[in-house]
Amino acid sequence: MDSYDASESTPRQSTSSRPEDYFIGATFLQKRLESVRKQTSFVPTPPRRKIPHCSLLQEDVDLQKVAFLLHKQWTLYSLTPLYKFSYSNLKEYSRLLNAFIVAEKQKGLAVEVGEDFNIKVIFSTLLGIKGTQRDPEAFLVQILSKSQLPSENRESKVLWTGWFCCIFGDSLLETVSEDFTCLPLFLANGTESNTAIIGTWFQKTFDCYFSPLAINAFNLSWMAAMWTACKMDHYVATTEFLWSVPCSPQSLDISYAIHPEDAKALWDSVHKTPGEVTQEEVDLFMDCLYSHFHRHFKIHLSATRLVRVSTSVASAHTDGKIKILCHKYLIGVLAYLTELAIFQIE
Amino acid sequence: MDETVAEFIKRTILKIPMNELITILKAWDFLSENQLQTINFRQRKESVVQHLVWLCEEKQASVNDAALLDIICEDVDLFDMKQFKNSFKKILQRALKNVTVSFRETEENAVWIRIAWGTQYTKPNQYKPTYVVYYSQTPYAFTSSRLRRNAPLLGQALTVASKHHQIVKMDLRSRYLDSLKAIVFKQYNQIFESHNSTTPLQERNLGLDVNMDSRIIHENIVEKERVQQITQETFGDYPQPQLEFAQYKLETKFKSDLNGSILAEREEPLRCLIKFSSPHLLEALKSLAPAGIADAPLSPLLTCIPNKRMNYFKIRDK
Repeated sequence: MDSYDASESTPRQSTSSRPEDYFIGATFLQKRLESVRKQTSFVPTPPRRKIPHCSLLQEDVDLQKVAFLLHKQWTLYSLTPLYKFSYSNLKEYSRLLNAFIVAEKQKGLAVEVGEDFNIKVIFSTLLGIKGTQRDPEAFLVQILSKSQLPSENRESKVLWTGWFCCIFGDSLLETVSEDFTCLPLFLANGTESNTAIIGTWFQKTFDCYFSPLAINAFNLSWMAAMWTACKMDHYVATTEFLWSVPCSPQSLDISYAIHPEDAKALWDSVHKTPGEVTQEEVDLFMDCLYSHFHRHFKIHLSATRLVRVSTSVASAHTDGKIKILCHKYLIGVLAYLTELAIFQIE
Repeated sequence: MDETVAEFIKRTILKIPMNELITILKAWDFLSENQLQTINFRQRKESVVQHLVWLCEEKQASVNDAALLDIICEDVDLFDMKQFKNSFKKILQRALKNVTVSFRETEENAVWIRIAWGTQYTKPNQYKPTYVVYYSQTPYAFTSSRLRRNAPLLGQALTVASKHHQIVKMDLRSRYLDSLKAIVFKQYNQIFESHNSTTPLQERNLGLDVNMDSRIIHENIVEKERVQQITQETFGDYPQPQLEFAQYKLETKFKSDLNGSILAEREEPLRCLIKFSSPHLLEALKSLAPAGIADAPLSPLLTCIPNKRMNYFKIRDK
């Protein structure tokens, strides 16, 4: 993936056609297939992206809720648009999902020893987690364990959390009718069995489809560069990369941590275009890191697989795991992930 | 008795510490029990020595007897397991009051020590013991990690009990004691005798594409052979000792071949921490050049690990 052809059309230029003819689900997929056939399977990354800046909308942002999204590891999925989802039915959804979970667990499909069936499901909106006004409102689903004890002060324990969002999702929003709600990025924290049960309910109820969102080395490099480019008052974490070397018979992992100030100095020296990050700059930044490493160890990191990048802004793993550390750039990080999710759906 | 012999015996006995004197004299078995009983060992050392030399003269000690005494002194100097164990235990108990110390001697002059740590006020925690393996004929001991508070005390106990001057932590860590031993005692290249390494090309699985131009194939073979040979020279033909990781703390300036202007004005070095991890690190490193992932020869920073007996490094610009 070293060459990028600027003349490739990106998926967001796909045409929207025949919005009136939708059958549930099937037609949506048909439409997707059509637009896919028109494109190649090239990496649809633009040659440049805006550096994330502090951009929470001037809305009623619940900083408490936003803080709780940070410093947690989330597993990423892409999600196709939800059919006939309504923000005014959140209480109803809570009730239905609750019943579904209890039924599934009693069926013995996902029984964990000692599990408490006394749970509470809460759907709530996450205000301010969007890129533009056109983006649908993000919402949060939480599974809490209902305390058996009569004492009111006992706080319920959160067993599982998942949230749905869409940041700068115009390319997807343009292509769907009003019956659909586009929240292509889904993040989950909790056991996989719970994620599977909740996923099943959403798929049945809103005719949507979840797909694990892997992040390839190319996008990890972009993230590393963009997050290094972010202005930080102080650094809370070292900048670190993890490579997996495909040698046999033994596996080898190489972790390369660089002091965040030094990483920033390197980036500043590479960076030319104000306010933006270009493909060339990302490549040069990574090449500098490779060459510094090669000078010492004579190993070509470019021949190995980048699996994890970690900065003070966020850390991401190729398996589709993310941890956001900085509230200032939360939207910026989510914007990139939304882009990846949309690409996976299309 | 010869003057020189008398002098020699006198000097030899003077070197013996008072607490060992009787043991050695008994082991020497030159002076009889009765004779030894006539000596008042509580006198000043010079007086004791004088008395002993006089007894030797009476019995007409020969050069051979003197030489035997010398050997016995050397022998005791080397290592007294009982004394080591007592001393070690005493030091820990004096400091902590609550500590459980157990010993097990194995072949190869190794003593395994198990220590369960407590404090002045709490009982020893038997679930988190520290293990130490001390090879008495060498100046090396291996400790299991999990030591923080008690590391200095353990170091002190080992040093004093083994009659050394100081203890220095080596930058070498692994989960495999045998590998550590192999590296520390430089035994890893004795495991296998080197055999004929010029195996004909067909036997090595190079996976060439048969449709390729024969000239390219030839060049590839030449290069592959070169890499194989260098790898073999560096790592040897024998199985590598098993290490799980190597860590490098780098503080070196950035010097790029790509673009001379990057970070050109920056005086400060890049502060990096590089960690290699693998179930079998040295074997993995050995396979890098043949796989085309690394140049051959591999960097000496990596190949020196067994030789330097280190897997933690700090590298700075010279």
